[in-house]
Amino acid sequence: MGKLVDELKQDIQYQHGMNACLNCGICTAVCPAAEVYEYSPREVMNICHTEDEEWLIDLLKSDKIWFCGQCYSCKPRCPRGNSTADVILALRRLSVRHGYFAESEKGRQQLFAKRVFGENMLKRGYTLTAENITPEHFPELGENWEYYFEHMKEMREWWDVPMDKENSAGSHRVIPEKDMDELRAIYKATGAIELMEAVEKGMEKKLGSKKEVEKYWENWLETADSRTYEMKS
Amino acid sequence: MKVTRENIIWESHQKHVPTIDEEGGKLWGCFRSCFLQSAAPYTEGIAYKILKNDLGIDLREAAGHTSCGAIGYHGDVTNIETQMVVAARNFAVAHEELGVDNLFSFCVTSFANYTEMIHLWEEEPELREYTAKTLKETTGREFWIPHVSGGRPSVVHASDVFYANRHKLAEKAKYSLKGIKAVDHIGCHYGKIFPGEAMGGVEFPQVLVGLLEAFGAEIVDYPERRHCCGMGFRQCAFPENRDYTASSTYKKLASLKEAHPDCNLILTNCPGCTVFLDAEQGTIKEVLEEEFNVSILDYAQLTGLMLGYDPFKDCGMNAKVVPVEPLLDKIGIPYDKSKTFEERRRPF
Repeated sequence: MGKLVDELKQDIQYQHGMNACLNCGICTAVCPAAEVYEYSPREVMNICHTEDEEWLIDLLKSDKIWFCGQCYSCKPRCPRGNSTADVILALRRLSVRHGYFAESEKGRQQLFAKRVFGENMLKRGYTLTAENITPEHFPELGENWEYYFEHMKEMREWWDVPMDKENSAGSHRVIPEKDMDELRAIYKATGAIELMEAVEKGMEKKLGSKKEVEKYWENWLETADSRTYEMKS
Repeated sequence: MKVTRENIIWESHQKHVPTIDEEGGKLWGCFRSCFLQSAAPYTEGIAYKILKNDLGIDLREAAGHTSCGAIGYHGDVTNIETQMVVAARNFAVAHEELGVDNLFSFCVTSFANYTEMIHLWEEEPELREYTAKTLKETTGREFWIPHVSGGRPSVVHASDVFYANRHKLAEKAKYSLKGIKAVDHIGCHYGKIFPGEAMGGVEFPQVLVGLLEAFGAEIVDYPERRHCCGMGFRQCAFPENRDYTASSTYKKLASLKEAHPDCNLILTNCPGCTVFLDAEQGTIKEVLEEEFNVSILDYAQLTGLMLGYDPFKDCGMNAKVVPVEPLLDKIGIPYDKSKTFEERRRPF
């Protein structure tokens, strides 16, 4: 057994999500991701079960662990009470901590997850903000959404859900700074900041410099497609 | 006596949610949804109006509560420890500052997240100790666990509160769904992670069906009824992954259309389903030139319509991709026909 396997086994979510898998494939049969991607939760469980360090590293470097949609359709159907979706979370965090995520196209999208969900939490106390749902990144929301986005403040008042009110309850309110300080302290003490920093570091190592990471990010904001960034290696 | 499988499952997946006529059922604390307030803010707006004005609930939320952070958790930017302490903080804020014992969330992922943390604290005493200690050190607050359902450590979802009070709501309804075919789409995180915490379990969930039936709808079934909408966190969040979302929605709606071409109403309780089952119909129309025209309403939007609230100003139907007017006509709900389609949607 190798070090990575040991580290994976320390994760409470791995402990709870991985009992003896009988390899029946029900998880794959019901998995929405398995239907549209080259993905099989059964294969993921299989690799974990072998406890083979090299196979595990290959898995952590691959797109595979990033295909899961976290719907947990697999969980209630597993006859052994496993939860591939939970095992996936443990694998993804392991991949981020060791920088393997940056080796795959889907893994590199963690930069967006970190800079959107993660930084939003630290700045505003929300994983998503109204400003994130842009018509450019969400064209399927249609022309009425474009209209809403241009008239966001007025539209929200018209709907009786005004935004950005301070020291008040309500939708998209500004959370008091003392509460934000508590939240940031929790993120620091529980290792979330460290996990987020590992994303920036892993990307810097893979792309060569901080400047390239910014280019990758700017390109995504502009084109809404990370595949248009040309990887050097 | 013949006992059907549905009945056995129903018996084993009952949870108690206090109605407004029971002790504690008129005072609730709530947690906002960052997904709803960003992508469908009007749904929380109409839910608030119904809970306060029509059910007379004293609904409280602290200015200082935060997102549960679970979009970041299922999007892999936080640890499970982070989720535990943030959950404990939100509980402590509600209990200490607002004096509430009963709590619900507007988001099903928050509901699943809080439920997961409560389960962890119950199953792993050292994690409970860790949470209480870290909460104290980082915020100075005291650890407290809500016991909302049947005296067990638990929280519930907003749609559970609507379900519990569905007969009261139906009594006040101005319109009826009699003759209207409808089906539920339960958010995955409402039932699939902890089926024991879902009203009716994950196989035969009743939370939305019960509401639809109370308003008189005819419930239909179709093969892909329990298939995920395809929201998928990092799958819907990044445009390059969203073919996953569109494909899942297509699979569901094609299945519904085949089984019940005259069903044009899906009721949801999850922010992701509410937004994407609707929006991806636009993508499908554009890419495959196929139209489903199934209105996707959230439990509060539908209840709002039934109670006579304005479809656009109160219920936010103006931000939907699928035009809602054919459904309103079918139910017999009036709206300003002197205005054009655009005018009803664009007030400024």
